[in-house]
Amino acid sequence: MLLEIAGLTGGYGGRPVVRGISCRLDRGEVLGVIGPNGCGKTTFFRLLLGLLRPMAGEIRVEGTSLAGLSSREVARRVAYIPQNHTPVFPYTVLEMVLMGRASWIGRYQSPREADREAAFAALERMGIAALASRPYTALSGGQRQLVLIARAICQDAPLLVMDEPGASLDYANQQRLAVVIRGLAGMGYGVIFSTHNPEHPFSAADRALLMREGEAAAFGPPAEALCSEQLERVYGIGMEVVSVTDRSGRVHTLCLPV
Amino acid sequence: MGGYQLEEKRLRQKDRLRMALLAAVTVAAVLLSFWIGYYPLSPAEVVRAMLDGWGIEVEVIPQAVTIFWQVRLPRILAALLIGGALAVSGAAYQGMFRNPLVSPDILGVSSGAGMGAALAIGSGLPGWCIQLFAFAGGALAVGAACLIGARARENPVLSLVLTGTMVGSLCNAVVTLVKYFSDPNDVLQQLTFWLMGSLTKVDLAGVLTSAVPMAAGFAVLFAMRWRINLLSLGDEEAQSLGMSLRRDRLTVILAATLLSASAVCLGGLIGWVGLMIPHLCRAVFGPDGRRMIPACALMGGAYLLLMDDIARSAMQMELPIGVVTAVAGVPFFIWLMVGGRGAFHAA
Repeated sequence: MLLEIAGLTGGYGGRPVVRGISCRLDRGEVLGVIGPNGCGKTTFFRLLLGLLRPMAGEIRVEGTSLAGLSSREVARRVAYIPQNHTPVFPYTVLEMVLMGRASWIGRYQSPREADREAAFAALERMGIAALASRPYTALSGGQRQLVLIARAICQDAPLLVMDEPGASLDYANQQRLAVVIRGLAGMGYGVIFSTHNPEHPFSAADRALLMREGEAAAFGPPAEALCSEQLERVYGIGMEVVSVTDRSGRVHTLCLPV
Repeated sequence: MGGYQLEEKRLRQKDRLRMALLAAVTVAAVLLSFWIGYYPLSPAEVVRAMLDGWGIEVEVIPQAVTIFWQVRLPRILAALLIGGALAVSGAAYQGMFRNPLVSPDILGVSSGAGMGAALAIGSGLPGWCIQLFAFAGGALAVGAACLIGARARENPVLSLVLTGTMVGSLCNAVVTLVKYFSDPNDVLQQLTFWLMGSLTKVDLAGVLTSAVPMAAGFAVLFAMRWRINLLSLGDEEAQSLGMSLRRDRLTVILAATLLSASAVCLGGLIGWVGLMIPHLCRAVFGPDGRRMIPACALMGGAYLLLMDDIARSAMQMELPIGVVTAVAGVPFFIWLMVGGRGAFHAA
């Protein structure tokens, strides 16, 4: 099992924000985390990334508990794909992706030729090698996202954690994102992403974690975890989950407020 | 592999060419500085005077040897070291604080180091104590800037600049107090002259004493030149990429502070170099620390050397170099602020 989370509790100043979350994820699987504002998604992610120490419970990646690991050791297991952001300095795309190698490079060392090749391989995998010499700050939101994903690939960790990858993407790029995430799972990564759109787990995830006030309201395949009753309970508005078939015969799931 | 990789390689070669060019300019600046002055030393004389000093028999005027070893060489070395130290520490601070508007002087580190050194000079402590006090004062100032600046929620870029201004002003007040209580015939003169920023009184021994801590600080920053990139992304991102944040940050801050405090010890308060040069280097070489740090060392050294040449030769009497760098630096800062969005956002 790639990821095992058992009874995870964590928060700030002795006050738990996330309480007793348990879930599992295998290689090649995608987990969508969803819930209203303030439900503890961010805290959950900080715990996953080792940025926050759990108050109780455990996170195991490939059998190893994250507790007590150095940030370098955590980074070799869990890679973070932050929300779209603008760095202060205009690094080139290649420089940005190279930073993914940090956990494999000594403290007083710089990247070597092999690291550069790994960065190029990651860029080629995302189909953006042509951007290598461009400044990251000059790219569009969708391109930046692909660069950050390439950086995570370069980091060579089996688990990828994406913080609201859909945010700040335009409509077409949001639709492409599901394909990209499925592609990452196809490469053998375990992927966890957070979202505000309950339809995203249906199109991209194998499992969904529905959070409410710091607890797991539901965990399981999207069709089970995100049924109308659950969504209504968590969001406090009338919801209906419907399936539609498009002209090519593919089935889509839509979540509608009613 | 594909053509993009080749294209990228070509760009890297261009960068190497630029770096070589910068090194050549620095060498040219050194030769020019030997030549400028009431007794111009030609490159040939420089070589002969140097060989003579090493005990190799050459035909050379004794006067040239004295000027080379006792006047020009200490001063040129001091300008190269101070300029390089201020520029490199400025680049490190800018990356670490994710703030293109900071530098040793703007953060208050120079004033803090000045305060430490003034206290040591005022109480008549020996030379090594001045170094130590300067470093402690600089560390205190940067520590205060970190603590207060990190707590400000609105506009972190400007908060840090303002915090630095406050800390610097407090340190300058202490310096004024030291001056007020010191002997006007002896210590006061020495203090005033040194605080203006001047290379007139440097000697070879003083240069070599300051060169040791500078070399240590530079070695650390040079080794971590790539890691500084990661720090500039922000805390959470840097840590999730595998950096041990607290340790790496502390190392970079201490090394940068050691560099700037040693520069203050050697030449007094010389402003603006630590802000200007990193910006120019970034414009030429891009933001990657692997090129920024060595480029700043070269360009900072060459820049201060040329400024010192102006200070020495612009007028009949010598100008304090701190005045010259301020006259060149302030318009640059105004241009950064007003001349487009570049400075406050990217650079």
